[in-house]
Amino acid sequence: MTAELDPLIHVPTRLRIVATLAALPDGDALSFTRLQDMLGLTPGNLIIQLRKLEEAEYISRTKTRNGSAQKTMVTLTSQGRAALRDYARALRDLLGGVDIDAPSPDDTVYEVSADRMRS
Amino acid sequence: MDDTVGTTPGGGFDPRQAAALLDQATQQARRTFTPLTPLLLTFRAVVALVVFGGCWLSVRGQHPYTGDISGWAIAVAVGLVVINIAWTAWVIGRAGIGVSGPAQRKWQAWTGIMAMAWIIGYAIAAPGWHAVAGHPAWELYPASAPLLIIGLAGAAIAAAFRYRPLAITSLAIAATAAAAGFGGPAGSWLILGIGLCVVFLGAAAFTARRQRRSMVRP
Repeated sequence: MTAELDPLIHVPTRLRIVATLAALPDGDALSFTRLQDMLGLTPGNLIIQLRKLEEAEYISRTKTRNGSAQKTMVTLTSQGRAALRDYARALRDLLGGVDIDAPSPDDTVYEVSADRMRS
Repeated sequence: MDDTVGTTPGGGFDPRQAAALLDQATQQARRTFTPLTPLLLTFRAVVALVVFGGCWLSVRGQHPYTGDISGWAIAVAVGLVVINIAWTAWVIGRAGIGVSGPAQRKWQAWTGIMAMAWIIGYAIAAPGWHAVAGHPAWELYPASAPLLIIGLAGAAIAAAFRYRPLAITSLAIAATAAAAGFGGPAGSWLILGIGLCVVFLGAAAFTARRQRRSMVRP
């Protein structure tokens, strides 16, 4: 069977969002501002990507109000967690014995290098 | 840079780059959200070695054994413990910024309970043991009783919370404390220093390894 990569996750920004949220324990949520800080994205870009993930029910957003301040919390749903697991499995199948640490010509685009991976 | 521009599924973003990015993002997030970092655990290993080693140096020549620890050893211990508490609070606080949910609340409960266990272990048990210094039990467990209480309490609570690595670490602390009880009044300090140093270094290595675990590579 040929492994297929989920096109919704197979986009650098959304992959980073899902991977970041998956590092939290199941059911825990991360604030929009913290997620934005961690990924270094503009609010507009993050909102667009979150909306796409939310439409696929990979994430859920809840808004809480504390006094006058509104806070948006983002959670990876169990469906999103399963999708990431399947995506990682598909990558593993596709890559087989390929060494992902070996430098790729386009690595600089995503600021990924073998040294950084090991640091 | 908007890295979605010009990227279509399967094109412009090859699987090898995706695998590297997935691992990088996952590892970075794990490092950010981990409340007990490998560096902090390594520092605790040094603290244990220096604090208990200092106690051992100040009591090892006592004949008969009085248990009095020299002023410099106490000063060093207090200084390192204060740094450890401050650093731990900072790391835990930083890891929890913007995070909420059941696991976060459970972790906060664990932190509170363990803080209480440390207070009970040292503020109540240690003076209690000191008050019965003439008792044979005091001869057997001069330094290890508080840590035995803390280790066993930590292991029980961690097991109840399903924190397996913390339960194992706590059990190792309790086992070290129990073993130290057989080292004699002075030797127990040294066993505690070396034993706890090894336990914390092991915990640091385990945490670092877990943080680096790949999502893609088996």
